[in-house]
Amino acid sequence: MSEQVRKWIAGVVTVALAAVVVTGLIIGEDSEQDRVRALGTRIKCPVCQGESIAESPSETATAMMDIVGERVAAGQSDDQIIDYFTERYGDGILLDPPFAGRTLLLWLLPLFAVAGGVWMILGRRRTTAPSPEESTI
Amino acid sequence: MAALGLLGVVVSIVSAAVLTVRGLYGAFRPERGGAGSLRWPVIGLLAGGVLAMVALEAALLADDFTVAYVANNSATTTPFLYKVASAWAALEGSLVLWGLVLAGFTFLVWLGSARRADPDPLWSGALGIMGLVTVFFYVLMATVSNPFEVCTATQGIGCGLESAWPFASTVEPIEGLGPNPLLQNHPLMAVHPPTLYVGYVGLTVPFAFAISALLRGESGDDWLRRTRSWTRIAWLFLTAGIVLGGLWSYEVLGWGGYWAWDPVENASFMPWLVATAFLHSAAVQLRRGVLQAWNFILVIATFSLTILGTFLTRSGVIVSVHSFTQSPIGPALLWFLMFVLVGSIGLFAMRIHTVSSAPRLDSLASREGMFLVNNLLLTLFAFVVLTGTLYPMVIEAITGDQVGVGRPFFDRMAIPLSFALILAMGIGPFTPYRSARPAVVWQRIRNPLRVALAATAVMILFGYRNGWQILAVLTGSFVIALAGRQLWTAARTSAAKQGRPVLPETLRVMRRDRPYWGGQIAHVGVVLLAIGIAVSANNSVEGDFDLVPGDTVQFAGHDITFVGPFNRQEPNRRVLGATVEIRRGGDVTTLEPRLNQYPTTTQSIASPAVRTGLRGDLYLSLAAIDSSGVRLEIFWFPFIWLVWVGGFLAALGAAWGWLVPAPRRTAKEVVRE
Repeated sequence: MSEQVRKWIAGVVTVALAAVVVTGLIIGEDSEQDRVRALGTRIKCPVCQGESIAESPSETATAMMDIVGERVAAGQSDDQIIDYFTERYGDGILLDPPFAGRTLLLWLLPLFAVAGGVWMILGRRRTTAPSPEESTI
Repeated sequence: MAALGLLGVVVSIVSAAVLTVRGLYGAFRPERGGAGSLRWPVIGLLAGGVLAMVALEAALLADDFTVAYVANNSATTTPFLYKVASAWAALEGSLVLWGLVLAGFTFLVWLGSARRADPDPLWSGALGIMGLVTVFFYVLMATVSNPFEVCTATQGIGCGLESAWPFASTVEPIEGLGPNPLLQNHPLMAVHPPTLYVGYVGLTVPFAFAISALLRGESGDDWLRRTRSWTRIAWLFLTAGIVLGGLWSYEVLGWGGYWAWDPVENASFMPWLVATAFLHSAAVQLRRGVLQAWNFILVIATFSLTILGTFLTRSGVIVSVHSFTQSPIGPALLWFLMFVLVGSIGLFAMRIHTVSSAPRLDSLASREGMFLVNNLLLTLFAFVVLTGTLYPMVIEAITGDQVGVGRPFFDRMAIPLSFALILAMGIGPFTPYRSARPAVVWQRIRNPLRVALAATAVMILFGYRNGWQILAVLTGSFVIALAGRQLWTAARTSAAKQGRPVLPETLRVMRRDRPYWGGQIAHVGVVLLAIGIAVSANNSVEGDFDLVPGDTVQFAGHDITFVGPFNRQEPNRRVLGATVEIRRGGDVTTLEPRLNQYPTTTQSIASPAVRTGLRGDLYLSLAAIDSSGVRLEIFWFPFIWLVWVGGFLAALGAAWGWLVPAPRRTAKEVVRE
C-alpha cells in the first residue's frame, strides 16, 4: 500500500469515528429516571441540613420525591414542578439559585473572575517576536 | 489524666513561643541563631504534643469519665477502634490531633536542616512562623476549646458541667454518651480525618518558608526548591484524605453518594485546588523563572483557605450564621484568619519590590502558557467553590434571608471547568516550552486523538449514549493516550540509543524523570476519576422493593433473594439486618445490609452492603424492616470503582518520586555525559 493510500484510509477512518462521536454527543439524552432525580437535587429537603430531597432518606424528602415523580409522569415541565414547590415553601427551598434577584451576584462573580483572569493572562504576552522553541519535554 | 494532658498543652505553648522568638531572631541574625538554639523548643513542642495526645487517648481507652470530653464522646461499650477515633470525633479532641501533626511537621522540618553547620536563616524563620501558628492552636486548646476539662456535675450519663481547672473536685459519670452514631459506623472514621489533617497541616510548611523568605527579602527560588517535597507530601495526604472521605460517605450514607458539595467537603476541596495550582506554578518558576509573585500569592491563599476551612467546619457557622458566636472558637478562628491574611498580604506588599518583575512569556502557545491556563482554571474553580460556599452565609448575615446554594450550582460550574482542566491536562504536558508551532503540537496529538475517538465510538456503539459520559470518555481517553504516546516515544528513543528492548525501557524512562512522570500518573488518576464519576452517575439504576422472606427479584442482571431478617444485640448498638443472596450466573454472594440503632439517638443509622465487581457495584440499603418483611433500596453503580482507583492513583503520582529509585546509569550513559 502506498503512503498516499494509507493516509487516505487513516483520514477517512478518523472522520468516520469523529462522526459517530459527534452524533452521539448531539443526540445524547437523559432518561426520565434522571429527570426525577435531577429535579430532586435542585430542591432542598426542608427538615434536613443542606441535603437535597434526592439525597435525604427522611420521610419528608421521600414524600416530596414521590410528588416530583408523579408530576414528571404527568408530563409537567421542570419549571412547573419547581414553581409548585417554590409557591409552597418560598425561594429558600431551591438549591439551584435563580439567575436573578439576590442570587444574581452569585452567578456574575465567577464570570467577572473569568474575565479578569483572561485579561491578566493576555497581558502577560510578550509583544516582541518570540524566540525559537526549546527542545521536547 | 486531664492534668497530664493540660501539662502537655502548656509545654507546647511555651516551647512554640520560644521557637517563634528564636526562629524569627535567627532569620535576621543568622550568626546568633542556628540549629542549636532551636533544638530544645522543637523537641519540647513535639514532646508536649505527644503528651497531650497520649493523655487524651489514655483517658478514652481507660473510660476516664472524669474528663468531660471522654464522658461526652465515648462510652464503655464503644469498640476499641472507635474509642481511639473518638479523639478526633469532636472539636476539642480534633485540635489535639491537629496540634500533634503540626508539632510533627515542625520537628521534621527542623530535622531536615539540623545538621547543617552554616547558618540557615530561611529555615530558621520558617520554623519561627510554624511556631507562631502552633502557639495559636495550642492556646485554643488551653482556653476556648479545652479537651481536658474535668467533669464537675453529672446526671449519670455524660457530663453536665465542666471545669477548666484540672484539680477541681470531679465527679465521674457512670457512663459516657458515646460518639456520634454516624462516626462509629465505619472503620474509615479512624483513617480519613488523620489523613486529611496531615494534608491540611502539611500546607503550613510551604507557607512558613514563603513568609520567612518575604521577611528576609529573598524572593528567589530557594524557598520553593526547599518546600517542593513538603508541598507534595501535603498534597498526597490531602488527596488521599478527600478520596477516603468520599469512600466513607459512600459506605455509610445509604444512597451511594460520595460528594455533596456541602461546606465541610468544600472546605477540604478549596485548599486542594489551590495547592494543585501551586504545585504546577512552582514547577514553572523553578524551570523558567516566571510567576514568582504569583507563587507567593498562591501559597498564602492555600494556607488561608485551610484556616478558613477550619473556621467553616468548626465554628457552627454552617448551621446558621448566628450560631457561630455561641462558641468562642468561631471568633477566635476568624480573628486568626484575619491576622494571617492581613499579615501575609501586608508583608507581601511591602516586599513586592524585591520580587523580580516577571519576564513576559514568549508565547501563550507554549508549556508556560498552558501552565497559566491550568492556574487560571484551578484558581477559578477554587473561587467558584468559595463563592458558592460563603454566599448563603453572607446573604443570611446581611438580610437574614435563607438562600440555597447546592449541587445544581456547583455542578453547573464544576463540570465545564473540569472538562477544560482535563483538556489542559492532556495538551499541556506535551506542548514545548517557550513557543510551540501548531504543526509540532498537531503531530503529537494526532494519533492519541484517533485512539480517543475510536474508544469513544466503540462505547457509543455499545449503547452508552449519555452526552456527559461521551464527553468524559472522549477527553479522558485522549489524555491517557497522549501520556501513553509520550511514554512510548521516549522509551523508543532511549531504547534505540542504549540498544535495549523498548518495553522494559518504559519503566526506566519513568524512573529517570520522576517529577514529570509522577505528574502524568496523577493526571491519569484524575482522568479515571472523572470517567468514573460520569459513567457511574449517568448509568446508575435504582429500585425499591418490599420483600418477604423467600422473595426473589431481578435487578440489573442479578437475582436477589431475601433469605430472612436477623436481629442481634452488640455492646454498643442493636443491629437489625437482612440476609440477602445475590446470584449472577453461577456466582453466589451473601450480603447483609443493616440498620443500626444506637442508644443515644432515635433515628436508625443504615449500614449499606456493597458487592463490588469489575462491571460495577451492587449497593443494598435497608430502608425499613419489621416482622413481616423488609424494604430494600437497591442501586447499581457501574464502574464506580474507577472513582476510588483514580483518586488513589493521583495520590500515588505524588508519591512516585519516593516509591521508585532513580535508575542506575549504565557505563555507556556515564561515558556520554
